[in-house]
Amino acid sequence: MKPKPHLEILQGTLDLLILRTLRVEPLHGWAVSERIQQVSDDVLQVNQGSLYPAMHRLEHRGWIEAEWKTSQLGRRARFYRLTAAGRKQLELESENWDRLTTAIGKIMRLA
Amino acid sequence: MNWRDISLRIRAVLFRKQFEQDLEDELASHFEMQTRKNLAQGMDAAEAKRQAAIQFGGRARVSEECRDARGVHWITTLFQDAVYAARGLRRSPIFAATAVATIALGLGLDTALFTVFNAYYFAPVNVRDPHSLYDISWRDRAGGFHGYAWPEYQEFLSQNPPFSEVTAYQGAEVRLNGRAAYGLLVTAEYFAMLGGHASLGRTLLPEDAPGNEIVLSHLAWQNRFGSDPAMVGKTLLLHGRTFRVLGIAQAGFRGLGARPVDFWVPLTAAAQINGRQPDLFGPQHPRSLTIIARLKPEYGSSQSEAAATLWIRRLTAGDPDSEKAVQAVLTSVATYKPWKPSNTLTFAPILVAFSLVLLLGCANVANMMLARALSRQRELGIRVSLGASRARLIRQLLTESAVLALPAAAAGFAASQFLIWISIHVLYATLPPGIAGFAEKLPELSPDLRVFGYNLAIALASAVLFGLAPALRATRKDVIQAVQGDIATAFGPSRLRNLLVVAQVTVCALLLITTGVLLRGVLRAEDLSTSLSKRETIEIVPDEDFRARTLDRVSRDPAVDLLAAALTSPVARPFFLTVRAQDGGALLKMSVNSVSPEYFTLFDLPVLRGRNFTREEARAADPVVIVSHTAAQRLWPNQDPVGRSLRLVPDSATSPRFRTFPTARVIGVSRDDLSRWITDGEERTLIYFPSTAQAAGNVLFAGVRSDVETARRSLDAGLAAIDPSAAVTQRFQVRDFAAEEGYTFRLAYWATSAIGLLALLLTLTGIYGVVAFLVSQRKKEIGIRMALGATSGAISGLIVKQSMRLALIGTASGAALALGVSKALSSSLVIINTFDALTYLAGVLLVLAACAFAAYFPTRRATRIDPVASLRYD
Repeated sequence: MKPKPHLEILQGTLDLLILRTLRVEPLHGWAVSERIQQVSDDVLQVNQGSLYPAMHRLEHRGWIEAEWKTSQLGRRARFYRLTAAGRKQLELESENWDRLTTAIGKIMRLA
Repeated sequence: MNWRDISLRIRAVLFRKQFEQDLEDELASHFEMQTRKNLAQGMDAAEAKRQAAIQFGGRARVSEECRDARGVHWITTLFQDAVYAARGLRRSPIFAATAVATIALGLGLDTALFTVFNAYYFAPVNVRDPHSLYDISWRDRAGGFHGYAWPEYQEFLSQNPPFSEVTAYQGAEVRLNGRAAYGLLVTAEYFAMLGGHASLGRTLLPEDAPGNEIVLSHLAWQNRFGSDPAMVGKTLLLHGRTFRVLGIAQAGFRGLGARPVDFWVPLTAAAQINGRQPDLFGPQHPRSLTIIARLKPEYGSSQSEAAATLWIRRLTAGDPDSEKAVQAVLTSVATYKPWKPSNTLTFAPILVAFSLVLLLGCANVANMMLARALSRQRELGIRVSLGASRARLIRQLLTESAVLALPAAAAGFAASQFLIWISIHVLYATLPPGIAGFAEKLPELSPDLRVFGYNLAIALASAVLFGLAPALRATRKDVIQAVQGDIATAFGPSRLRNLLVVAQVTVCALLLITTGVLLRGVLRAEDLSTSLSKRETIEIVPDEDFRARTLDRVSRDPAVDLLAAALTSPVARPFFLTVRAQDGGALLKMSVNSVSPEYFTLFDLPVLRGRNFTREEARAADPVVIVSHTAAQRLWPNQDPVGRSLRLVPDSATSPRFRTFPTARVIGVSRDDLSRWITDGEERTLIYFPSTAQAAGNVLFAGVRSDVETARRSLDAGLAAIDPSAAVTQRFQVRDFAAEEGYTFRLAYWATSAIGLLALLLTLTGIYGVVAFLVSQRKKEIGIRMALGATSGAISGLIVKQSMRLALIGTASGAALALGVSKALSSSLVIINTFDALTYLAGVLLVLAACAFAAYFPTRRATRIDPVASLRYD
């Protein structure tokens, strides 16, 4: 089976995607990358190598918290959860994102 | 950076193992899940794992990036760098030892200076809450400072709400069991307010009834009473009155200020100790009290100063204008000496001189580091090829400097302690007897946290100084790239290195020339005063109450063969008087003194023309004068002054002694004597008025025929026997006066010569190192030159010429700077000759010779290079 061509994640949007993914429920790293891939209908593929440094960075900023828990499959995994500060940051960044995409969309249609 | 970030970082550092494990587990679990997914998609086990790894990317790199994200990575690499640096330094122990020793020398000097500084200006005195204590004095219109009267002290707290506590004291110099002592008369609150406790007996308490009770300082108890354990309750003779010992103060309690106190007595005993002075509690209300008060924490010092100013202005409103307060002045007494902005100016030259040595050391080590870094080009090049960034390399090189700086800090600290120890010993051994008491005033020079901190901070700062330039240079891109080719050609002589050498030579020449200038100044100063050179003379300041008995005693002393008297000691701060010739001429300001006829014999100032004062003239203080030769020349150029008259033009500052008559007749001309001392400028104009030893205010000069020490002891015993309540009379050799006045000078030139020699040593090793390095770098070139027929003389000429060029530039700029420094010095010390050609020449030659000497050895090595071997090399 041949994988469909993936799109690279735009630089700077990985943080936004991680925060958004964690808004629903706490997830471990692998699940985050899976979720992004699934939800985007396999269009977006997260570079797993850059996922973890990004999540550790977010943890240091205080936007997400980590906790060791047992996953459904009985394996110990590090689950990340959105904090209150993270929620605020997510709102801010989604808003920015909306403005950006609207602007780009306009240019693509009209320019 | 938020709190969570910091706490995560701290945990990451403290529990590094745990974090590493967590990271490992997290990535492992990711792998496992990915592999499981791949299996579910139908891959076989091996393929599933392989795909998982591919999707993940380089696992080591990801872990590294995660560590970076944690922001603690640098700590671990710092540790690795330090270990690596230590290993590298262990391989070149001579380099390491030289670098550490060089920095330690300069650092030791700096730390010693700071220790002294700290003891005076930064270390708090050992009393309760010293930082809220202030000395409160007030200033009059003319800038004179005043104290307070007893009723003013009593109303102080009620009139000055910013203060919570107050005490007042008076100093007293009296005899304690026959020996001179200094003590304080204090109010009852003194000990409670300062938190002073007794180690034996008790201190003075506010509820004590007035009585003759005394508290001894720990030092006085040790030195004067042999730490007698049964001291409490005994009676002592203080100023001829008996006092009962109430207690011994704790060892650490020295009160306020730098002067050590021998005893404390209640202020109520003032009348018994002050003698003829007006009664403190009497109707005259003498303003003789010093007030120390504690500021409430909620008030600022300037605000309270304003309040106190209003208060003291009101109090002095009814006084004559010259006694009216202009302003109250609050001075913190938290340290031995209050820090004032003007101090910065005073100490800046010392600080600069001391720092220069450290800078020289840094320059030396920087040069060594540079040579070392360049010889490590290959290693650095390889690391760059392996992906190390420039920042990473610089960080590693700086870590190496820091690794050198830490042992240097320790060694420098030890050096500073040794330096202080030896300086104090030298000080005690060389202090002129007249100011030997100064040594007792030294505060304790023990290092504290401030000194440690300073030492470490300066060590690390110097590490950056000597490490940064080499690190920046060695990691430059073109330099790194040169790895592929021949390093030696890529460098050539470095401008940076030349600059360092020139700077070193400059500093060295500057310090040495300044030393020379100071030294010559001192020698000249000690030569100048003719009156101080001939005879051993002891100065005696009698207590006016006992003048006649003192005179009688001294003149009967077998050790004394001639007794003279004068208002002031020769070359002591003189009085001045404006005069002019009676028959016209300009107004001239001249030094005046009134002396007994014996003065001219005692100080070997023969009357050259005319005659000496007669006894009758001296007794009656007649309007006759003897003028110095120079004074005569100024007043009556090329004429005989004897018999002529002098018009006296006194002003408000003139001593009453010299305003009793409007004119005086010149009866003689004496040999010249120095009339002003080194800080005021050289002058030889003097006018002597007649006086006697009996006249109040005159000091006595006893010419002694035997050994001075014996005479001094004999006089002391005789004077002490006059009356126990006679005031302490100062006795010191007049000849010491010159030594005393010149002592700070001497200290200055000792310090600068020590620093200058150190600088010379550092410069020598610095030049040696640089030339040696250049020679080894140019081995190949020299080999080629020799192969082409250059003689060894031509080769050494080449190298010596290069190094001497640097030396010449350095000495020239050093000499120019020294000119500026001695110009600045001469503005406050008139004796200094700014254009002392001999000193400059000697300094310049010495430095040049030293440079040539240092360059000589590596040059010789260059001439011994075997052309064949050096061409094969590399």
